[in-house]
Amino acid sequence: MKFSVYQISRQGGRERNEDRMGYAYTRESGLFVLADGMGGHPEGAMAAQLALQTFSAYFQKAANPTVREVPEFLSSALMAAHHQIIRYAAEKGMLDTPRTTLVASVMERGHVYWVHCGDSRLYVVRNGEMLTRTRDHSYMEQQAHLGRATEHINRNILFTCLGSPAKPVFDLSGPVQLMQGDRVLLCSDGLWGTVSDEEITEELSKRPLEQAVPELVELALKRGGPRCDNVTVLAMEWETADEFQSTRVSTEDIEEGVFASTIQSGTPDSTMEDLDDAAIEQSIAEINEAIRRTAERNT
Amino acid sequence: MSKVKPAPLPPDTVIGGYRIVRKLAAGGFGVVYLAVDTEGQQVAVKEYLPSSLASRGPGELLPQVQPEKLSLYRLGLKSFFEEGRALAQISHASVVSVLNFFRENETVYMVMNFLEGASLQEFIITAREQKKQKVFRESTIRSLYDEVLRGLRIVHQHKMLHLDIKPANIFVTDDNRSVLIDFGAAREVLSKEGNFIRPMYTPGFAAPEMYRRDSSMGPWTDIYAIGACIYASMQGYPPNDAPQRLEKDRLSLALSRLRGVYSDNLIEVVEWCMSLDPLSRPQSVFALQKELSRETERSYTKLTVAEKMRLQFDNIVSDNKKSLRKSTNAGTKFR
Repeated sequence: MKFSVYQISRQGGRERNEDRMGYAYTRESGLFVLADGMGGHPEGAMAAQLALQTFSAYFQKAANPTVREVPEFLSSALMAAHHQIIRYAAEKGMLDTPRTTLVASVMERGHVYWVHCGDSRLYVVRNGEMLTRTRDHSYMEQQAHLGRATEHINRNILFTCLGSPAKPVFDLSGPVQLMQGDRVLLCSDGLWGTVSDEEITEELSKRPLEQAVPELVELALKRGGPRCDNVTVLAMEWETADEFQSTRVSTEDIEEGVFASTIQSGTPDSTMEDLDDAAIEQSIAEINEAIRRTAERNT
Repeated sequence: MSKVKPAPLPPDTVIGGYRIVRKLAAGGFGVVYLAVDTEGQQVAVKEYLPSSLASRGPGELLPQVQPEKLSLYRLGLKSFFEEGRALAQISHASVVSVLNFFRENETVYMVMNFLEGASLQEFIITAREQKKQKVFRESTIRSLYDEVLRGLRIVHQHKMLHLDIKPANIFVTDDNRSVLIDFGAAREVLSKEGNFIRPMYTPGFAAPEMYRRDSSMGPWTDIYAIGACIYASMQGYPPNDAPQRLEKDRLSLALSRLRGVYSDNLIEVVEWCMSLDPLSRPQSVFALQKELSRETERSYTKLTVAEKMRLQFDNIVSDNKKSLRKSTNAGTKFR
């Protein structure tokens, strides 16, 4: 399996970046995930991170080396991610739960499948045309679908997400058979909020990923201005023709049974708790003290 | 995963009083160098530099971490510290020892004793290429694992599990010691519950409970891996992975090919260690050591004609499995 992949996440004008993205693959299957931790609730970044970790852990378990039952995998990973967030909130005795959107896709045996919940999107672009994109779980998109005017609707109001006390509503899509050069893009609303579907399609079609993706993100940041939302884009190209493109991943390069991931696993309580300089120094001092004690004991 | 691997520090760079001689290895976590201390003593220095999170240009000292990856970078640092903490408490000839830990170049370094030799994996590959009936002699296997188990027993006494025991992590030194290395997956277990994501595992050597999120791991999890290592030392190939075995367990069949080549007792020990049910395995390293060191008269049970035929039949039906086929070539030749 060969594909190119390129991912960027930018903070924009916000205090924190609560978007998370990552991918993982075995020899014969690839997972791409993006989550946008929601504001207005506590620890959005944690919700997004937990969602990614859960997907990565599930994928590691299921992809052997293919997932086979992909839709079932996507829906069970999504529900598990939701439960992890709820459990995290319960363990910490939080009054409100952290929440996140999610879009995840699996590519294997020449097909792509995806699931989404909320307003993070997936686009499939083929031969310069948008083949399909996800429909947001927002009031705006719902009203637009019914043919109603949407000018006065706040696009940020979602009717579902992961982590809320209500069971998540999600859509499974695919399989779509992939053709060489097909591009699949996952993004947070920081991108599509200011960059149109046409612009995304055009940019993605005319340049290699490593130029198109930064270009799109820059455009979104420029238009978003000083209060710009977090902008996160994860894009891949199926069977890139150019062998020497730096973004190219050949899963044949990894051994059978191996799993590679950009998503770091970790215990939920320690994930986002940053080690500061003092904590690092203290850890080093403790380790050296232990080395000294052990050496002493042996002399 | 990153497009370009971070460049290793060039030879003769001095860090924390150690002069780098050359790069020994690089993995996902960072780079291991051969270095010498101020007294000319050779050491191995492990640099924390996860290739998916940090980059470094050739000739530069400081790694670059993108702001959005900083929290993951720091998280990885925590497990690097965990490995250091684990090793710092242990001083045993069969466990790699850590000598120093320091911070420089905006990252951290772990100094370990430098081992000359090769991993057991390299020995197995060399041995199996000779296409002999036995990969290793039984007495070699028994004494090798006796040493490994001595080290593992100390690890377990410190309430830690290795969780990634495999031939690549058993180092055989030029002066014939075997040493457990790479405690990157080690976790202080008995203290923490709800660790909902298990560390990475190696198929073939990972016990079934490492794949399940709900069950508890214990010394028996490392013991399964030891059994799998012994298996690999006999067959020359790793055993089927646990999910495959849960679906259709061919372990006994694969082991029966070794009857007459290795003693019944050794074959039984492997089966015992590799029981799918954690409770059916030796529950402690001590229990296993006792069994493995029991040097009574070895008995060998040869295969009957019917059993040989069954094996050959199995050979035809499982022809798509390269490893099985190869090990069969070695296993069915005996009279």
